[in-house]
Amino acid sequence: MESRLLRVDLTSGELKSELIPHSIFERWIGGSGINNWIMWEHFLTHDINCDPRGPDNIFVFGVGPLAGTGAGSGIKGRITFKSPCYNMFGDSAGGGKFPYMARFAGYEYIAITGKAPKPVYLLICNGEVALMDAAHLWGKDTAETHAALQAELGDYPSKTHTLSISQAGENQVGIAGVVSDALRIHARGGGGAVLGSKNLKAIAVQGNGSLPVARPEDMLAWSEDFRKKIDGNEAVYGFKRRGTLGAVEMYQHIGSHFWRNNQGNMFRGDEIRSDNWVKKYHKYSEVCSADCYIACDAKYQIDGTESEAAKKYIGETFRRPEYLTTGSAAGALDVRDWSEVAHWGKLTNDYAIDNQDLSCSISFLMELKQRDLISDRDVAELFGHEQNLRWGNMEDIEACVESMVFQKNLFGQLFRDGPYYGALRYSEMKGKNFMKYAMYGKGGASFTEEVRPYPTWMNNMAVASRGADHLKGIGLIEKFQREDLSKVYFDGRTEAADLTIPELKGACTALAENQVALLNSYGVCLFHWMLDPADYTPQDYYGQAYAAVTGIERTPEELMRDGERICNLEKAFNSRIGMRREHDTVCERWMWEPNPEGTYSNAVAADMFETVLDEYYEWRGWEKESGLQTRSKLEELGLDDVADVLAQDGALADG
Amino acid sequence: MITVRTQFLSHFKEIAGTGEAAFELDNGQVSELAEQICDRFGPRMRAVLIDPKTNELNARGTMFVDRKGRRISMSGTLDDGEEITFMMGTAGG
Repeated sequence: MESRLLRVDLTSGELKSELIPHSIFERWIGGSGINNWIMWEHFLTHDINCDPRGPDNIFVFGVGPLAGTGAGSGIKGRITFKSPCYNMFGDSAGGGKFPYMARFAGYEYIAITGKAPKPVYLLICNGEVALMDAAHLWGKDTAETHAALQAELGDYPSKTHTLSISQAGENQVGIAGVVSDALRIHARGGGGAVLGSKNLKAIAVQGNGSLPVARPEDMLAWSEDFRKKIDGNEAVYGFKRRGTLGAVEMYQHIGSHFWRNNQGNMFRGDEIRSDNWVKKYHKYSEVCSADCYIACDAKYQIDGTESEAAKKYIGETFRRPEYLTTGSAAGALDVRDWSEVAHWGKLTNDYAIDNQDLSCSISFLMELKQRDLISDRDVAELFGHEQNLRWGNMEDIEACVESMVFQKNLFGQLFRDGPYYGALRYSEMKGKNFMKYAMYGKGGASFTEEVRPYPTWMNNMAVASRGADHLKGIGLIEKFQREDLSKVYFDGRTEAADLTIPELKGACTALAENQVALLNSYGVCLFHWMLDPADYTPQDYYGQAYAAVTGIERTPEELMRDGERICNLEKAFNSRIGMRREHDTVCERWMWEPNPEGTYSNAVAADMFETVLDEYYEWRGWEKESGLQTRSKLEELGLDDVADVLAQDGALADG
Repeated sequence: MITVRTQFLSHFKEIAGTGEAAFELDNGQVSELAEQICDRFGPRMRAVLIDPKTNELNARGTMFVDRKGRRISMSGTLDDGEEITFMMGTAGG
């Protein structure tokens, strides 16, 4: 297995092609694993404490070896960088066609450093690369940028596929993301601000190359078995039809939404908590890539008859919102009309901005206003003019979005790095402590689901390497109470499936982090595994596909160790910049305020938080007191070199 | 004889053609409830409700819980008046 890496130095304009040798795959699998290693090596010769918006930061795009091979397991590309909003390890996934088209164009990995003297975009066409003037693209949103590049570059030797930033990235808004083909955002961590700081507006790829597959017959056999398994699962048809919106009714039933800045956990309004989305708006399903047997994506088109609010958006068509887009609008901001929720999804995608951090920045202020902790005059001070901040009011919400994207006023500037830093800066500015209303976990990252009843999910919010997040170590065993899986992974024990006790919850985080690290390294979507985590095991079932494609044979135990190695490198990055146990925490509301309603009401994180965190460190083999890694664990994983770096930086538990 | 109420959400509602139904059980076992549901709503319901390999309730992409939010299993027993909700088990996005 070999892959091509394109190194782009925007300061000098140098473009250099390298071969990533087989030995790197033996250690780092591919995809996010290799991205992480490229970034780790970069910061051995550059200051890891650099300004993430400065030229010393690196932006890595990568895609794993299964992507585009016809495996049918969906495709995710990955971007990796030092996060400008959370000032720590940053990465984010995105689907669609761009990731595998980058492979067909000649490169699986792109590492971008420096800063271009003027706006440029990177063009890759069948192995040929060039930096192109982007003056005409600057000031455009991602939909406009994508359309302009498609028109400019045409359909030969293939359609043009893009990764682009909006005005938010240009303005270095910390929570700005990067959008693939104008449809799918890499939202988390601020990759858009990194590209904006480098004056890189977009990456465009065209290609009709081929992909290496070590054992094509084995790959085809695996793919056919995978397709049959999926077709034989009736639940998949429910997921095809609704995608992650299937969670709306489930979360409404058990109380797992994030309503009005998480003052509650159920949507209000009959329409928004119903399944009417499917009846009224769903137009057709589609695959987000050409390599997925599920096709959970869909398009909506608004004709104006759906509701009174829908008249504002007649003709608007876009992707069906994912659950968290809905959670941020219908939940955090209490928007009660589906057309407005859908529009919020399009707006935040076109402007390439993380709707979790943005919604929680707005809902923080709305709660302050609701509680009369700030006056109309205070709000006018933030916005530079009189501004209403009414729950669920799209006019007010759009004013906040525009303020953020275009950095129009104090609100945009104070909250450009999300609700935590925004609340901190605003508290300081006003000489008051508003922090109890800021919703965040590790790094200041926010998340618009109720997590208080779920000890593993709460632990994920506290320890995820890229800041509070569910996808780094998604707690399927716990949330879906899977005793069968608990028994498989924990020697017949069932406690991991019991929400009411702390036992095995930290272990669940560690287990899921290792498994997710594997899937992210293969370059596949997580949803197939999430639908059937008993059968589609990352370390076994997917491992067979990985072996067929790469020729790298691994036992399930070795692959789990590979996943663990990847997680440890992300941890080491954060340790180098000074993160310790005290940074593995969550906001006051999650920690101390009982969740007020729903099936699992009255849970608070504090009841189990420290116990679960201790157990997580134990399962990780890290020191509990400091949260730091130990040399013995790193050496066990073959990371002696990483241990040496940490020791030099004083970031190793045992010296 | 006990009565158990059921709620069907999203995909289950589409298959059942109704959001709610009541069932009378002789011995109060979940297995009896599952059989009655399959008999009433047909083979698509059976396909999503029961794992043919194990004869257990299908855990793949689903969530079946009692009123306290606890996942039910085929070997469990139900009290009179219990309410079971059948949902898609989805997260993330």
